[in-house]
Amino acid sequence: MIQLDNVSYTYEKGGGVSNVNLAIQDDEYAFLIGPTGSGKTTLLRLAYMDLFPKVGKVIIDKYDSSKIKQKKIPFFRRKIGMIFQDYHLLNDRNLFENIALPLHVIGFQKDEIVDRVTESLEEIGLESKSEHFPDELSGGEQQRACVARALVKDPDIILADEPTGNLDPVTSFELIKLLEEINREGTTILMASHNYNLIKGRGHRIIEIQNGIVRKS
Amino acid sequence: MDKITFLLSEGLKNLWRHKLTAFTSIFSIFLTLTVAGSLLIVSDNTERIIEYLRDKYKIEVFFKQNISDKRIQEISKEFKSIRGVRSTTVITKTDAKKIFKSQFGEDILNLVGYNPLPASCVINLVKEQKNKLNIRPIVDRIRKFSEVDEVNYQGRLINRIETAYQSFVKVSVVLLIIILVVSVLIISNTVRLTIYAKKELIKSFQLVGATRSFIKTPFILEGVFHGLIGAFIASLLLYGTLEFSSGFILSLTGLIIDFSFFNLLFLLSSLGIVISFLGSSRAISQFLK
Repeated sequence: MIQLDNVSYTYEKGGGVSNVNLAIQDDEYAFLIGPTGSGKTTLLRLAYMDLFPKVGKVIIDKYDSSKIKQKKIPFFRRKIGMIFQDYHLLNDRNLFENIALPLHVIGFQKDEIVDRVTESLEEIGLESKSEHFPDELSGGEQQRACVARALVKDPDIILADEPTGNLDPVTSFELIKLLEEINREGTTILMASHNYNLIKGRGHRIIEIQNGIVRKS
Repeated sequence: MDKITFLLSEGLKNLWRHKLTAFTSIFSIFLTLTVAGSLLIVSDNTERIIEYLRDKYKIEVFFKQNISDKRIQEISKEFKSIRGVRSTTVITKTDAKKIFKSQFGEDILNLVGYNPLPASCVINLVKEQKNKLNIRPIVDRIRKFSEVDEVNYQGRLINRIETAYQSFVKVSVVLLIIILVVSVLIISNTVRLTIYAKKELIKSFQLVGATRSFIKTPFILEGVFHGLIGAFIASLLLYGTLEFSSGFILSLTGLIIDFSFFNLLFLLSSLGIVISFLGSSRAISQFLK
């Protein structure tokens, strides 16, 4: 479960989120919607503890932002898969190596890494492009690779920050469907988007944020 | 085990991925270690050099006329007991006459009717002495003998050599320390450039749950590989230079430069590893603060 209790965070130059109370249940697929600059990314950064609330706390599983020690954060992040609008793929290594990275970090054995990465590549339909470098892939393929990288370590939660931001409508719908499949297998998903048309009518919870305040949940 | 293999291969692959910074870093280490290696070889051989020079030091003592050979032999023994004297060689008037004949081809008795050449004693000084060899007290004691007419020695030159040797020992230690500290800072800044260029990579590592040590290790290993490569090239260059010039040095000075390639490689590799390890650890730790 992702739980935000009375969370506020303000940047030095203004902006952020204010007094957010939110709970996302296990296996839930929730959309965080709001215009650019409304605080969606801040909320996600607070959730993966890249930022720490100035007021309130974020609790995910046994990890509490008000108590967690710096050296425990890497272990907490291993339970979370993250997907970004700008992919964050490493251009100096191929698709296979990019997806394998979280497994190396966790310390998986070589054979298991090969099995898991191959399975993930099949799941996103990019098994034939495992040797390709990110700049040899289309935007949609890069984003699918990003999903595979988040998925490969079998996380409890996926946090996706505007994953469709750089994609065309068709590819965006495909990505939403892919995330729905992942959610059906038991992964909690919180996805930020500013595109209401993309997410409406899919039967998932929509959390609306404006000027750093959660308006509707 | 697979984690260690991954980190090692990351360190190795980074050499290729960060070609420009690798080149800069290896070149800095190479220059540093070439200077440091030269200093170490020279320091190692300085004792031999100073012994070689001291071997050339000579004090020539000329005796007054009419001093018997027996007395000269006695005085020579007393000279030998002076602290700092290694050996003495007596040249009697007869010996001097023979030397004159061998050098000039003429018998001095035929030239001037008598033997004007004085008896003398050549004094050689100790070679193995760590401290500065001070020749002045030796000369003063020799001059106290009433039988001594004249003392010839290269006092100023010997003093200069001895002072220079002592200064060299001190300066080389200070210089070595400065070189090593500066190289750590240069390498640290070079690695920092790599790290800034790889901010994205570090961020990705952090986001997928990498610990600090996991992020640091490939950068440190990369630095250590730079150190090893720089040390290897510096050792090769010094070895080549010494091999090339040893014949020349030997014919010029009679001095054999003593060094072993593997000792040099081991010493420079150790130095290279230490400075690159310190440099890259400093850079990555500062970045991750």
